[in-house]
Amino acid sequence: MSYFRITLVRSAIGLPRRTTDVLKALGLKKRMATVFHAVSPSVAGQIMKVKELVEVQEVDKRLTKQEVHLERKPDPGYYIEKTSGVEYHENRRA
Amino acid sequence: MMFKPSSPLFSGLLWKIPWRISAPQKARQRKRLRAVDRVVDTVSAALARNGQMAKPVTRWFNEMPREEEMLPKDKYTIFDKKEKKYRKGIHKLPKWTRVSQRVNPPGF
Repeated sequence: MSYFRITLVRSAIGLPRRTTDVLKALGLKKRMATVFHAVSPSVAGQIMKVKELVEVQEVDKRLTKQEVHLERKPDPGYYIEKTSGVEYHENRRA
Repeated sequence: MMFKPSSPLFSGLLWKIPWRISAPQKARQRKRLRAVDRVVDTVSAALARNGQMAKPVTRWFNEMPREEEMLPKDKYTIFDKKEKKYRKGIHKLPKWTRVSQRVNPPGF
């Protein structure tokens, strides 16, 4: 079972009403929004309607919104030091 | 700030689309054409892996040329019956950066 990972990269402002409706049906409400849909002819047809506006990848697993967000999250640039005892117990558990 | 008097700034509503498309605009146009090709390829490959087919995808492959198959004439210009040589720049097409305009009438 694979999924389409669809990201809206260009907005549908000023395009025919139907284009906006297709995006809404896919669950794409704003630019850079990402949705996952199972690979099927009906979803393929929907993508074909908005192929100029989206980026598509085929993936094995659907990610949650948080996971998609974490992909884009930059490195914080710092780390929190821990006492040796806490670190020892964490490593023991892992 | 220096004010440079020009027709669009002096009069009310006046903006003109230049008759020819610039080289970077052409480069971006090619990039967009390739992006659309990539989307269609991904969709068709995913369907093929599942042993499925979709009519719009097969129709696209039957009717539309790929970016590398297209003539420069079709990439950057569009048929227009009102023009002198039946062609005008593709940047005159409304929403030209978000629509697929690849084929023109045969013979023109």
